[in-house]
Amino acid sequence: MGQLLLISLRNLFQHRRRTLLLGSAIAFVTMLLVLLSSLFNGMQDTMLRSATTLMTGHVNIGGFYKITAGSAAPVVTNYAKIEQIVRREIKGLDHVVVRGRGFGKVISDTTSLQGAINGIDITHEKGFRDVVQVRSGRLEDLAQPRTALIFESQAERLEVKVGDMLTLSSPTFRGVQNTVDVRIVAIGGDLGFMSNFMIFVNSEAIRDLYQLDVTTAGALHLYLKDPEQADTVAAKLRKVIQAEGYGVMDKVAQPFFHKFDTVKREDWVGQKIDITTWIDEMLFIRYTLQTLSVLIAILVTVLLVIIVIGVMNTLWMAVRERTREIGTLRAIGMQRGRILAMFVIETALLALGATLFGVLLATLLAAGVNAAEFVVPKGFQMFLMSDTLRLVVDVPTAVRSLVIISVITTLGSLEPAWRAARLQPVTAMHAN
Amino acid sequence: MDHPPAIVRLTGVDKDYLLGKVVVPALRGIDLAIQPGEFTVIAGPSGSGKTTALNLIGCVDVATRGIVTVDGHDTAKLSERDLTKLRLERLGFIFQSFNLVGVLDAFQNVEFPLLLQRKLTKAERRERVMDLLQEVGIDQYAKHRPNELSGGQRQRVAIARALVTRPQIVLADEPTANLDSETGNAIVDLMEKLNDEGTTFLFSTHDPRVVDRAGRVVRLMDGRIVEDVTRRAVGASRIAQSA
Ligand SMILES: Nc1ncnc2c1ncn2[C@@H]1O[C@H](COP(=O)(O)OP(=O)(O)OP(=O)(O)O)[C@@H](O)[C@H]1O
Ligand SMILES: [Mg+2]
Repeated sequence: MGQLLLISLRNLFQHRRRTLLLGSAIAFVTMLLVLLSSLFNGMQDTMLRSATTLMTGHVNIGGFYKITAGSAAPVVTNYAKIEQIVRREIKGLDHVVVRGRGFGKVISDTTSLQGAINGIDITHEKGFRDVVQVRSGRLEDLAQPRTALIFESQAERLEVKVGDMLTLSSPTFRGVQNTVDVRIVAIGGDLGFMSNFMIFVNSEAIRDLYQLDVTTAGALHLYLKDPEQADTVAAKLRKVIQAEGYGVMDKVAQPFFHKFDTVKREDWVGQKIDITTWIDEMLFIRYTLQTLSVLIAILVTVLLVIIVIGVMNTLWMAVRERTREIGTLRAIGMQRGRILAMFVIETALLALGATLFGVLLATLLAAGVNAAEFVVPKGFQMFLMSDTLRLVVDVPTAVRSLVIISVITTLGSLEPAWRAARLQPVTAMHAN
Repeated sequence: MDHPPAIVRLTGVDKDYLLGKVVVPALRGIDLAIQPGEFTVIAGPSGSGKTTALNLIGCVDVATRGIVTVDGHDTAKLSERDLTKLRLERLGFIFQSFNLVGVLDAFQNVEFPLLLQRKLTKAERRERVMDLLQEVGIDQYAKHRPNELSGGQRQRVAIARALVTRPQIVLADEPTANLDSETGNAIVDLMEKLNDEGTTFLFSTHDPRVVDRAGRVVRLMDGRIVEDVTRRAVGASRIAQSA
């Protein structure tokens, strides 16, 4: 075994140009895979973290209240009772926040925009501070009544700054147009597409706007210690809340605002509870991520196929060149299996070295990109949910890329190695 | 005479090659036995079947008809795996073009069969290899790779490699053909010396001067043995030389 390793290593050195060429290709693809995976992971992380903080909890308990069959208000009446059930039944709960949900016109002195208006109680929002970068004003001031937080691009469009007033205008759930004035207390850095349409107001403001009493909320966002448990928790809640006498809607994997039309067409009245997970609420992000991961997979597969072809060709060449040597080794008593191993080891060594180098390159490049605080184009920010490109090469991703590419490359050596192993020992006798 | 059992025995051996649909008869009715200690040359013109015969004896090719036994085993009945093992344990090979592993130095080339055998410790291997390198006169080149050695030196390394497992017989197909006559002579000297020390040699050659030095000459012509003469008793080469 030691000798096979030595022969393999020396053969790699012997054919330096070939080794370098193939090695660089393998290293390049590894680097690409690591970087793309990091980019993807980074995006996924930011997206999920920002979105689960701003738009949805890991599990959401929302609901619709229908005064008449043809209307639907996205509210949960007497939410305190539901919160109590949650706290009693769900283990592994990190925290619960209560949100108000609305949709209306946001009007400044000069212009207006349409947006999702979210009522929050900032003192209970644990993750908010980490996600929203306050560019001016103070987040704490959202605790005061009739205050609002908007994002930079909105501030630009509305031509407002901290201290300015905005008017929120929306029909109440009874159908009467109502308005509420709020003071801008904070402007946050843009967070991708969400900063286009979301504004946050003190929860009292949204109650005033929709004329709701204090026992009514838009939704409860549940944050779990293990977000992977969301589905299980949601299923359980559906059961226990129903058991408490509530009408609970069937599981539909869609965000709540997609459900208005369906709910309006149904002919019940009163309160129904709708329980969703962050995955349901963020279908758009999931499609984006899925599409992206498929694109990455296709790209890497194509490159890997090219590399495997390269490996096979190189080895076929090597086997042809070393036919007499192989025949000799067979003649002097080397078994077929060891000939096979010799070529596989050679490729495995090359693959391992090259992928290690690729990972190293990726790490350095990522560090460089991060240090440079590379600003991404606007259109891309929307997906990235961040204005600069950040690449985090984590160990599992690096190891996974390394293993995948090494293994696939090495598998490519099997056919040529098998050819070598089947060479007849008599070829050793052929004079050159 | 009461010979010890033959190391190699060919009985009624034919070998045909197939060139497309044409059958090329390479060996015809060969009967041959090699006793331990022999220093035998297979002679004959080009195309007479020397290489073919050595390949059959070396277990790298199989006879079309007849029986080839090596170390008592009917080679036709052994699996590929067992044949390989037989070559490793019982046979030594010296090739016309030396056939050393280019990326290994002289020491490592000679050591290689021992590594395949996995019988000796590192220290034992070292001792045996160094002794042999000294024996063939290239111990000072132990760290040299084949491309840093002359043809004669390479063939000495190859001889050491063939001997390192202490095989029952060393087979060599034209071991001097790629060497100038002086170097070739020196190689035959070396083989002769090793034969005196007990190694059995069976090799082929074109060179009449080399033929002259053999203890026994088996002459082939068109695939048949046309002459088989023993010039001197086994192990008596030195005595005959000095006489
Ligand atoms: N692989 C093969 N396929 C077909 N015919 C072969 C093959 N090898 C050898 N022969 C034929 O078998 C006969 C014996 O060949 P062999 O190589 O044994 O002769 P040789 O005595 O070693 O000749 P040389 O002195 O030229 O090496 C020749 O007629 C040769 O053409
Ligand atoms: Mg020949």
